[in-house]
This record gives sequence, C-alpha cells and structure tokens, in this order.
Amino acid sequence: MSATNLFAGTEGLHSPVAHSYHAAARMTGRYRYINFQRSLGGGAAAVSARLLSQEPERDAAGRIVRLRTARPSFTPREIARLFQPYVSQRFLDQFKTVAPLAAYLVLFQLLFLRQLVQDSWLITGGLLAVILGLMFFMEGLKLGLMPFGTVIGATLPRKSSLPVVLILTLLLGIGVTFAEPAISALKMAGQNVAVERAPYLYALLNDWAGTLVLVVGASVGVAAVVGTLRFLYGWSLKPLIYLTLAPVLSLTVYAALRPELAKALGLAWDTGAVTTGPVTVPLVLSLGIGIAAAAGKGDSGLSGFGTVTLASLFPVGGVLLLLLYVASILSPEQIIAAAHAAQAAASSTPAWYQRSPSLEIVSGIRAILPLVVFLFLVLSALLREKLPHRSEIFLGIAFTIIGMCIFNIGLTYGLSKLGGSAGGLVPVAFMEVAGFADSPLYVYAVGLSLALLFAWVLGFGATVAEPALNALGITAEQLTNGVFKKRTLILAVSTGVAFGIALGLLKLIFDLPLVYMILAGYLLALALTVVSSEEFVNVAWDSAGVTTGPITVPLVLAMGLGFGNATHAVEGFGILSMASIGPIITVLLSGLWSRYRTGAQARAARTPITANIKTSEVFL
Amino acid sequence: MSDTITYLTDATMITAVVPAGRADDLLKAARDVGASGGIVHQARGTGARELLGLLGIAVEAEREVVNIVVPTDYQELVTNAIVHAGGLGKPGGGYLYLTALEKVATYIPEASMARLQAGD
Repeated sequence: MSATNLFAGTEGLHSPVAHSYHAAARMTGRYRYINFQRSLGGGAAAVSARLLSQEPERDAAGRIVRLRTARPSFTPREIARLFQPYVSQRFLDQFKTVAPLAAYLVLFQLLFLRQLVQDSWLITGGLLAVILGLMFFMEGLKLGLMPFGTVIGATLPRKSSLPVVLILTLLLGIGVTFAEPAISALKMAGQNVAVERAPYLYALLNDWAGTLVLVVGASVGVAAVVGTLRFLYGWSLKPLIYLTLAPVLSLTVYAALRPELAKALGLAWDTGAVTTGPVTVPLVLSLGIGIAAAAGKGDSGLSGFGTVTLASLFPVGGVLLLLLYVASILSPEQIIAAAHAAQAAASSTPAWYQRSPSLEIVSGIRAILPLVVFLFLVLSALLREKLPHRSEIFLGIAFTIIGMCIFNIGLTYGLSKLGGSAGGLVPVAFMEVAGFADSPLYVYAVGLSLALLFAWVLGFGATVAEPALNALGITAEQLTNGVFKKRTLILAVSTGVAFGIALGLLKLIFDLPLVYMILAGYLLALALTVVSSEEFVNVAWDSAGVTTGPITVPLVLAMGLGFGNATHAVEGFGILSMASIGPIITVLLSGLWSRYRTGAQARAARTPITANIKTSEVFL
Repeated sequence: MSDTITYLTDATMITAVVPAGRADDLLKAARDVGASGGIVHQARGTGARELLGLLGIAVEAEREVVNIVVPTDYQELVTNAIVHAGGLGKPGGGYLYLTALEKVATYIPEASMARLQAGD
C-alpha cells in the first residue's frame, strides 16, 4: 500500500472506481457529501498492520523464525494521557471517602457552633496528604504486597507442614499489624494523655507503645492461626465467640474493679477496631484460604469470615493482659515520676528524627519494611519461589512506603487536627468551655441533643460510604440466598455505628463507666448470637471490623480525645469500641427480623392447609 | 415455512476489547445510534502490561469484550460511536475489530418477514 491513499476513505482503498472518483473530484472541485462529513469528524484511515510491526527475525534460509515486538516509545503527552484515567480514578476513590466527612465536620462547626476551622489551610493540605497517601498506599499494596500474599497462600501450605504454616501465620499477623495505617493514629493519641490522671494509660501509649503494638500484632497473629484452623476443620464461629468473650469480659470486669486500671479499658477495647484494616484482612485471608484450598476444603462461602471477628476480639484480651503485667511491675507513682523525668530530659529540642515531618517518614518506613522483609524471606528462603514482575513489585513496595509516609504526615496535620478540633468544639454547644466567650451556645438540652445528633450523623455517614461494607453486603446477600438484602445490611451496620458513636460520646460527657456499656452490649450480642443462625452470626460479627477503615479510625479517635479534653474527661477512648459493638447488635437484630418476616410470609401462604403444617414445617 | 431457516446476510460483528468497566458506556453509545444490543464477556488480557514495563501498571489486566452485530451498511456509524464513547483512540483505551459474518440466523418477527417477502 502506498502512503498516498493512507487517508482515503476506507471503502475506497482498493476500489479502482473510487480512485477515478477522487481524480474526478480533484479536477471538477465536486465532492461527495459523505466525504465532506467524514472530513469534519476526522474520518477513517487504514494502515496495514504489518507497517506497525518490525521486520521479523529470519534464519539463514530466510524463513521467518520469530516476530519482533519492540517496546513502544511514548511521548510525555501520551504517557500523561495513559495515566490520566488511572490516577484520577484512584484519586476519586479516596477523595470520595475523605471529602464528605471533612465537609461535614467543617459545616457543622460553621453552622451550629459558629466557629471557623482554625489552620484551615494546614488541615486542607493535611487532608490532601491523606488522600494522596492512601492512594499510593492502596495501589502499592495491590502491586507490591498482594502478589506475595497470593503466591505464599498458594504454595506455602503445599510445601510446608501445618505447624510451620501456623507459625508463619502468627508472624504474619504481627507484620501486618505494624503496617496497618490506623495503628500510627493510636500511637499518636498517646501524646495527649495526662500522666497524672491516667498513669497506666499513659504508660501503655508512651513508654510501652512498641510493646503495645507488638502485643496487638501477636493477638492478631493468634487470631489468624485460630481463623485458619477454623477454615481447615470447619468449626462453627459461635463457640469460638463464646470462648473468646468469656475470658476477655472477665478480664475487663477484673480491670474495672481497680480504678487505676479501669481508665485504660477504653484503649483496650478500641484497639480491636484499629487492627482490622486494608493490610490485615486481605493478606491474612489469602493465606487462610490457600491453606484451606491445599487441604481440599474449597471456598465454602463462609470460610472467609470469622478471622476478622477474632482479629478484633483477641487484641482486646492481649492489651488487657499487657495492662495487668504493667500494673504488676510498676506503680502509678513510678510512672508519673518517670514521665516527669522524661519530660525534663526532653525539654531540649528533639533530634531530627523525632520531629515532624521526618518522624512520620521514619515511622512509615519502620511500619512497612519488616513486613516486606518477612514476606521476602518466606518466599525466597523457605519456598524458593520467584516472583513474577519483579520490577512492578519493587515499585509497589516503594509506593506502599511513600504512601505510608505521606499518610502519616496527613494524619498529623489533617485528620487528627480536624478531628481534634471538632471534638474540642462540640462541647461548646452545651457546656461552658474555657476560651469561648458565649459558651454554652444553646440551652443544655438542645446543645446536648445537637452534640449527640452530630455524632450520630458522623457515624452513619462515615459508614454508609465505606467500600468494604458494600463488598460485605454483596457476600451477605449471596450467603443468605437473598433473604438478607445488601441495602438492609448497609443500613443496619450504619445505624449500629451511628448509635455506637453517639453512645460513646454520652460516655465521655457523663463519664459513664465503660465496663457497664461493654458488658451490656456484648451480653446482648451474645444472647442474640445464641438464637441466630450461623450465616448471620458470621456476617454480623465481621461487620464490626469492616466498618473501621484508615480514615474513620483516626478521625473518631482524635475527635474523642479532643472532646474528652474539652469536657475534662479522664480519657477520650471508648467511642470506637462502642462503634464496634453497635453494628453487631443491629445486624443480628435485623437478621432475626428478616428471618421472622420470611417465616411469617411462609406461614401466611400456608394457612389454608391446616392438617399437616406442623410436620411439614419441621422438614422445611 | 416453519422448518425453513431464514439466514440474514450482510452482517458485521464489532468486537471491542476495553478495560473492565467501560462496556456499559460502549453499549449505550451503540444503542444510541440504533444498534439493537450486544454481549459483554469478562476477560483477562495479557501482553500490554508486560510490554510497557513499569508504565504497564496503568493497564489493568481485567478486560471486557463487547460483541455487537450490526448490518454491514451501518457498521461505520456504530464503530464511530463506540470509538468516541469508549475512548478507544486514547492510550490504554483498548481496541476493536470488525468481522464480516457469513450469515446470521435468528427468529424474525412475522410482520418483518411479511415485509421482506413483499419486497422480493
């Protein structure tokens, strides 16, 4: 084909008629209308595909042996166009979760509390950093860490014995916990605790912070091991829940009886909500499912469930045990003295690596690298497997680390600040707060209901948009053969979280003892669990862990602490734990309700036939 | 006439291979210019990601394959609509090809059949 007819109309290409027609058109200046229209719309051109490919490799005899595919070279503009949808979609994914929450907090402060947000530029920048950080982090997770999970999950159970696999699962649990973005929020919360008022809480979050995360990680690891055994042997979740809750609740009651320990209960129960995030769930599950598949136990639908539940309950027990240990070796006076000594020593400017923003970067690297090294060692030393697409994986790991660092910076300047200031301002509505001239802004009852409404809507809004919840909803609908609609689940979970956060706020306002709320909540949930069917129990208990993502956790945590500071509560923890128990109860209730309704419909349909209903129902 | 098969000739199948999630846009564009409908297959592509090296992270392996059968006379109209709506002219936008179909058999409504026979 010659270059001249490259841009002729498609059907004119090989037709002699068309050629003579074009010649005629050039001479007379008359054109076909259709060609005119094509010239407006760009038209079509045809090029032989051979022209785009290279000259193939030939052997000595001139036969073609191999086609050559060259790596195409792109101009910067083309690369920009290639990446434009890729970047904008990932940006929008994160933007959609951060923006509505931030807008809500700002608008509420403006409209009801008549306060402008302080440092608004810093917070906007921080929120942007959160969005960018999560964008990099999630993409890096997909490119760099998930391939490890898939390869290890598929090969490890076949190559190693069960005890080895379980030990590695335990270690993996520790690694993923360190890499969880929300964990840094927990550490950050420690800076605001007054040592004189809650010495053990202060000790856990400061001097013992590393041990705390380690204990939480080990608990997640144990949960992953138990969850994996559950996949293998098909255990029911119900007895596991009873067996876990019994010691955890007893420890809670024991700690609650000692006033110094009771102040750390909120922290212990909040860690459960922090642990199950975007790193833990997929990595631990892929290993568990791989083990079940290698043992010939296929994906039974339910097998993905339960681990999340255990991974949010076990850390509570772990933290409580650590608390008892710390209490047995240190007295409150010792902690206070040590803290004062440390403060005196730290009055000089901290070293560069202890200051923001290098602190965030160092902690970002420290969070990811151990997990990567661990996964790498398992893969190369134990399995002797090669990873496909190495360069892509290295890029992904780099993305994960960059994302974690940017996210940590955003956490400090964006989410924590915004949540803290919102939490600090809300009490202005109903009580006198130092520094606000016309506080309280409203009559006590009005202001209090406004604050509770604020918390309720925040909880509902933050949950209803959570993408993980949508996925859980789809699974739940399939599991229950459509009895439990996705919409029902999303509404139930959101309502549960909303009431949970409102209750948590009530706890802070009136300084209610958390132990009663926890006991009442979990005992109710236990009672409901006994009468519910296995599917609903799995969905309901897992929904608690699913709802608390890397944005909600820091925001709610910071809000609680800011709120606690303003209302002079001893500590600002506990909101997240209430937000965890809320959805368990609402989902179990709505599960029972939908079962009751289906049953009622079935009975209504059967009423005309009277004689054998009883027996037929038994068999159905 | 009940056991005779009526074949339709002069039909073209447009097959578009696009990144997952775009198929609905394509089908909507095709239907907007009058195509009757199409099929969407879920598929996984290989090649582009590997060929591009690190740039390949922008290319998802998950693909959707759309099949639309149109009368050959109108193939350009539908193709244009699809290329524009689906962004097939952009890097990473996917590709399409046209296949001439020898014949197509399906149920033809009686009214249409009567019109065809009257036209003979």
